[in-house]
Amino acid sequence: MNVIEIENLSKTFRGKRRALVQALQSMSLTIDQGETFGFLGPNGAGKSTTIKIIMGLIRPTTGIARLMGMDASHSAARAKVGFLPENPAFYDFLTAEEYLRFVARIFGLSGKALNQQLERVLSLLDLQEARRRPIRGYSKGMVQRLGLAQALIHDPEVLILDEPMSGLDPVGRALVKQVLLELRSQGKTIFFSTHITSDVEVICDRVGVIVKGKMQAIERVEDVLLRQTSGYDIHVCHPRTGLHKTVFSEAKTLPEIIVSSRDEGFEVIKLEPRRQNLESFFLDIVKSNHE
Amino acid sequence: MWQVFRANLKGIFRDRVFLGILVAATIFPLIPSVSSLSMRQVTELSITLSFSLLTFILLLLAIFLGGTSLWKDIERRYTFSIAGLPLTRGQYLLGKFAAIAVFLLLVSLVLGLLLLMTVYVTSILHPPIRPVVWGNLVLAVLFHCLKYILLVSFTFLFSTVSTSFFLPIFGTIAVFFVGTASQQVFDFLQSPSGQKLPVLLQQIATGLYYIVPNFTAFDLNVNAIYALDVPLNGIGLTLLYFIVYLVIILSCASFLFARRELN
Amino acid sequence: MKKLVLVGLVLLLYVSVVVPFTAYMQNKPFVEKLGYVPSAATLRTTSLDQQYLVSSTLIMKVLFYYGSLFEAQKNHIDIPPNYDGMVDVIETAVKLDPYNMDGYYFAQAILTWDNRRIERANALLEYGMKYRDWDFYLPFFAGFNAAYFLKDYPTAAKYYQRAADLTGYALFSKLAGRYMYEAGKTELAIVYLKTMLASTHDETIRQSFQLRLAALEETRRAEVARDLFIAEQGRHPKSLAELEQTGTLDFPLVDPYGGKFFLDETGQVRTTSKFSFAGAKKSRQ
Repeated sequence: MNVIEIENLSKTFRGKRRALVQALQSMSLTIDQGETFGFLGPNGAGKSTTIKIIMGLIRPTTGIARLMGMDASHSAARAKVGFLPENPAFYDFLTAEEYLRFVARIFGLSGKALNQQLERVLSLLDLQEARRRPIRGYSKGMVQRLGLAQALIHDPEVLILDEPMSGLDPVGRALVKQVLLELRSQGKTIFFSTHITSDVEVICDRVGVIVKGKMQAIERVEDVLLRQTSGYDIHVCHPRTGLHKTVFSEAKTLPEIIVSSRDEGFEVIKLEPRRQNLESFFLDIVKSNHE
Repeated sequence: MWQVFRANLKGIFRDRVFLGILVAATIFPLIPSVSSLSMRQVTELSITLSFSLLTFILLLLAIFLGGTSLWKDIERRYTFSIAGLPLTRGQYLLGKFAAIAVFLLLVSLVLGLLLLMTVYVTSILHPPIRPVVWGNLVLAVLFHCLKYILLVSFTFLFSTVSTSFFLPIFGTIAVFFVGTASQQVFDFLQSPSGQKLPVLLQQIATGLYYIVPNFTAFDLNVNAIYALDVPLNGIGLTLLYFIVYLVIILSCASFLFARRELN
Repeated sequence: MKKLVLVGLVLLLYVSVVVPFTAYMQNKPFVEKLGYVPSAATLRTTSLDQQYLVSSTLIMKVLFYYGSLFEAQKNHIDIPPNYDGMVDVIETAVKLDPYNMDGYYFAQAILTWDNRRIERANALLEYGMKYRDWDFYLPFFAGFNAAYFLKDYPTAAKYYQRAADLTGYALFSKLAGRYMYEAGKTELAIVYLKTMLASTHDETIRQSFQLRLAALEETRRAEVARDLFIAEQGRHPKSLAELEQTGTLDFPLVDPYGGKFFLDETGQVRTTSKFSFAGAKKSRQ
C-alpha cells in the first residue's frame, strides 16, 4: 500500500493585494510503506504547504492527496500517523505528561498500555525530568522533543515530520537522529522535510528536492552519492623531512599514484574518497532554477 | 471530543479565570447594604442587583472566552498540533465549545449560590411584602446561563470565518443587542403604528425576527424579582428553542470550520 | 540613589496635587442634577438584559436629587425643584420595570402635596395596578388622591374597595365613607401619611413625611379645639389666639415648616407656610 500518494497537486493562495501566489505546481509523489523519505528544499519552497495538505489542514486547489489510502481530509486517515508540525506549539498550560496523555487518549490508548507508551517516549526523548512542569516554561528544544514524543506516543506506522531538527541543540540533534534511525530500522515509514542535506544523507532512503513549488528531482540517496563519487584524496608524509601533502587522484589512476608516491619516499597515511555530497547535488538543482 | 473538552476546561481554570470571577463575586456581600437604599422594595432591589452582577460576569465570560477560544488556538498554532490527531474539525470545535459551556454552567452554579445567599440575607433583614420564590431565582439563573451559552455559540460561528478576534467579539456583541431587542421590534410591528410602516420593511423585519436569536425569552428576572408565576409551557418552549437554535448554530460553525484553511 | 530621588520627587508631586484636589472635590457644591435621560425605548434597547438595573438606577438618581433639594430647603436655600423632570424619569423607569414599586411610591410622594399633579399621579398608579395586581398600596394611594385632592368620592370609593379586596382589611372600605364625611380631610391625610411612613425606611422620604404629619397633627389639634370652642360658645372663634386665651388649646401651635397657623375667613385652619419651607420664607418677607 502507498502510505502517501500525491497526484498532480497544485495550490494557489491569495497573497498581498489579492495577488495569486502559486505555492505548489502539479506535484506528484508516492511514498511506500517502510520507506524513509527526505523532503529537501530551500525556505519557502512549498515543503510545509505540501505537508499541510497531506495532514488536511488546507485543501489543494487541484489534484489529490491521499494518506493511508484515504483522502487527506478524512480524520481516520491519521489514526496510524504521527505528526510533528514545524515549530510546534502545544497547549502550554498543560504539563508534558498531561499533553501526552491527552494525545494518547485521542489515539485510543488507555490504562496500562498508555502508561507504558508514556514512559517509553518520555525516556526516549529525555523528558523524564520536565514531565510535570507546564509546557509554558519549556525551551525551544524541549518543545521540539515533546513534539516528537507526542508523534510517537501511539507507536504509529507512519511519521510525518516537518523540520524535526529545528530548534535543537547538538545533543538534541544527535538524539533525534538516533531516534529516527531506530524507527527506520523498525520498518516505519518516515516522511520528513528539512533544508539540512546531511540529515537526509544519514537517515533517508530517498530524497525529493522541491524548489519554487515544483518537485525538481526524486532520487535514491545511495544513487546520488555513488554518482557523485569523483576520486580520492591521498594524504602522504615524508618520514625524514616531515613534509605533508595531499594528492588528488581519480579512481582509475589511484594504484599508479600510490606506487609513484612510495617511489619518491612518501608514506601514505590516509586515503579519502572525495564524494561530492548531497549538498552539491541539492545546490546544483537550486542554482539551475535561479538561472 | 471528550479529551478536547477536558483539556480546554483545564486551560480555562489554569488561566485563573475562575479566580478572577471569585474576585468579582466579592461584590455580592455589598449588595444587601446597597439595596437598603430602596424605599419600598429592598429585597427586590437586592435580587435586581444580584442578577445584574451575575449576568454581567456571564456576558463578559461568554464574549471573551468564546471570542478568543478558537482564535487563540489558531494564533498560537495549537491547531497544527491538533491537526495530527484523528479528530474531525467538528469534534474539535464541539469539544472546545463544551468546555466553555460547562465552565459557564459551573460559574452560574457558584454565582447562583452566592446570589441565593445574598437575597436570603436581605430578605431576613428586610422581609419583603411578597415572599421570595426561591425556585424562580434558580430558574432565572439557569435560563440566563443558557442564554449566554447560546451567545458563546455565536462567538464560535464568527471565529470559524474570522482571522482576528474582532469579528467574534464585536459581532457577538452586535448579535446580543439585536437578540435582546428583536422581541421589542416584533411587538412594535404587530402594533397599529408598526402596521403603518412600508410592507416591504415589515416583511424584512419579520423575516429577521425569525433568524436572529430571541434572548428576551430567557429573561426571567421579572418573575424572580417580583415573585410572579413562571409559565411552565413557556419555559418548556424556551428550552426547546434553545436546543434547536444551538444545534443549528453549531452545525453551521462546524460546517464552516471544516472548510476553513488553517495556514 | 538617583532613582530614589526620582521616585521621591514623583511621590511628592502626587501628594501636592492630590491634597488640594480632594479638598476641591469635598467642597464642591453638591447638587444632584437630573441630567438628560433617553427615552424608555432607547434605554430598553441599549440596556440589553440590564433593564431592571437601569430602572432602579434611574429611581435612585431621582431620589438623590430630591434628597439634595430637601437638604437645601431645610437650610432655607430656595431651589425650585424640577418636578416634571423627576416624574419624567420615574415614568421612564417604570416603563423599563413596570413592577418597580419604588417608582410609584416616589411619584405619589412628590406629585401630590408638593406639585398637585393629581391626574398624572393617578394615571401612573393606574398603569402600575395593571402589573402589580396584588398590591393594595396602589389603589389605596389612588383612592386617597381622588378623595383628598380631587374630591371625587365615587372614584375614591372604587379604589378603596379594590384595596380592601386585596387585603381583606375593612379599614379601606370604611375609609372613603367614614373619614371623608365624619372626620374630614385632615384625619384622612393623617391615616394616609401614617401608612406611607410605615412602609418605608428611606430617611429623606421619612423626614419629609414626618414633617408633613407633624404639621397635619397640629392642624388637627387646632381643628379639634375650634370645634370644641364652637360647641361650648355657640359661635366661631375670631382667631387661633382666642382659642389659646380661653384655654381650649392647651399649648401654642407650632408649624414645623416655620410658618404661622391662622383661621381663614371660612373658619378653616391654615398656615402661612402652606406646608413648605419655601412658603414659610415667602410669608416672612
